[in-house]
Amino acid sequence: MKYSLKDFDVTDEKLFLNRRQFIRAGVAAGLSLSAFPTLAALNFSANPNYQPNLKLTDSEHALNYNNFYELGTDKSDPPRYAHLLKTDNWKVRVEGLCAKPQIFDMDDLLKIEQEERVYRFRCVEGWSMVVPWIGFPLSKLLNKVQPDSSAKYVEFISILDRENLPGQKFNVLNWPYREGLRMDEAMHPLTLMATGLYGKELENQNGAPIRLVVPWKYGFKSAKSIVTIRLTDKMPTSSWMESAPSEYGFYSNVNPNVPHPRWSQAKERPLGSFFKKKTLIFNGYADDVAGLYKGMDLKQYY
Amino acid sequence: MSVSIRIVIFSFICALPAGYLVQSLLTGNLGANPAETLIHFTGDWTIYFLLLTLSISPIQALLKPKWPIPMHLIRRIFGLSAMAYAILHLSSYFTFDMVFDIQATIEDIYERPFILLGFVAFILLIPLTITSTQGWQRRLKKRWQQLHKLVYPITLFGIIHYIMLVKADLLLPLLYLSIFGLLMLAREAIKLKHRR
Repeated sequence: MKYSLKDFDVTDEKLFLNRRQFIRAGVAAGLSLSAFPTLAALNFSANPNYQPNLKLTDSEHALNYNNFYELGTDKSDPPRYAHLLKTDNWKVRVEGLCAKPQIFDMDDLLKIEQEERVYRFRCVEGWSMVVPWIGFPLSKLLNKVQPDSSAKYVEFISILDRENLPGQKFNVLNWPYREGLRMDEAMHPLTLMATGLYGKELENQNGAPIRLVVPWKYGFKSAKSIVTIRLTDKMPTSSWMESAPSEYGFYSNVNPNVPHPRWSQAKERPLGSFFKKKTLIFNGYADDVAGLYKGMDLKQYY
Repeated sequence: MSVSIRIVIFSFICALPAGYLVQSLLTGNLGANPAETLIHFTGDWTIYFLLLTLSISPIQALLKPKWPIPMHLIRRIFGLSAMAYAILHLSSYFTFDMVFDIQATIEDIYERPFILLGFVAFILLIPLTITSTQGWQRRLKKRWQQLHKLVYPITLFGIIHYIMLVKADLLLPLLYLSIFGLLMLAREAIKLKHRR
């Protein structure tokens, strides 16, 4: 799997340096860093192990066709209301069954080496995309808090801001949005905490400033705009399990052989195209993750 | 302006959403999921036209407006428009979701209640479309009235079909359901008033 350097990488590097100088100048002038939340450019390198030979989805689609119910249920709501999501001074609390619970701010999280990975992304609704995420493996973050051996699950809690987020004015879901993974899923090298997309910081509609990406599961497992990560010994109940338990299970692995009660999952429609193509089991990551579910009935544990 | 010209203009207006869709299709403005846009847009307009059809009698009873063309023709054009958008809806589903696979379509109807309900609504629309002409109205006499009451279950099925499709965002389909409920209530109220 070869990776060829793209234009934006080079440009970004330069911009990054320029921005750094600008920020330093700003600090010197007595301005606070948080006044320039968008100036913190990402410093990342492409991880050659995760650059599959797939055609990237047009970034316009990934940026303008989003499910982010906190910003509204229509696909066009998230980019329209993205500005209402306040991301300055963002903190991620990692707590629960661990030796060193901590609160990380974005600077701490961006100090972890950022890498770019091209992943398939499959939505439970039957559409899909191929996008270059930037971020770091979740395991690197979890290792910092030293999980107890009793920690069996990880719960993710997204932002709660009823005053500003238009979607949270209605109880479409039981806010805040909650998701969960089993410990071994969370520690899997494919499981990513994403801070960027298409060479740039995450846009708000894509779950800024930091979100989860679990490429072998349906998209809704990949919680956006995360504020709390909790290690527990009990299986967390996700917002979707709570909303429609017969339709959304804890695992939600991409599986063409297990239909959603209301539609088939055998095929998917890549964004931008009219026709569907066959969906791969575990979204094409079976070689890496099938072992996690050895001996499990995936129809029962959907 | 003669009535027939007005009828042509009125029909043309009902076709505008479809025209907009074709224009978007040709200019590639259907968004990230163009097939879904086609299917949803045509489904939405089927429901809008069904609700418009149902709103004519209550509007007549409440406001007694001077219609630009005869009331029964407005209702007929709305009804036929609903059928036209339903055909576009079904054919875009058959083309892009089922890729012309008849067996897969039958399986889909069999396995998914919401597809079945939409399909039943479509089938029920067929006799109404065929008997929409004045000739049929004359031939069927009282039966015509009875037959065309099918528009109530058709609209209800269409809205439930939509409710069953969405994940959690029930706002729009429930809005349509309440409009439907209000229109039905209005009908009952008008009936009661006439009986007195």
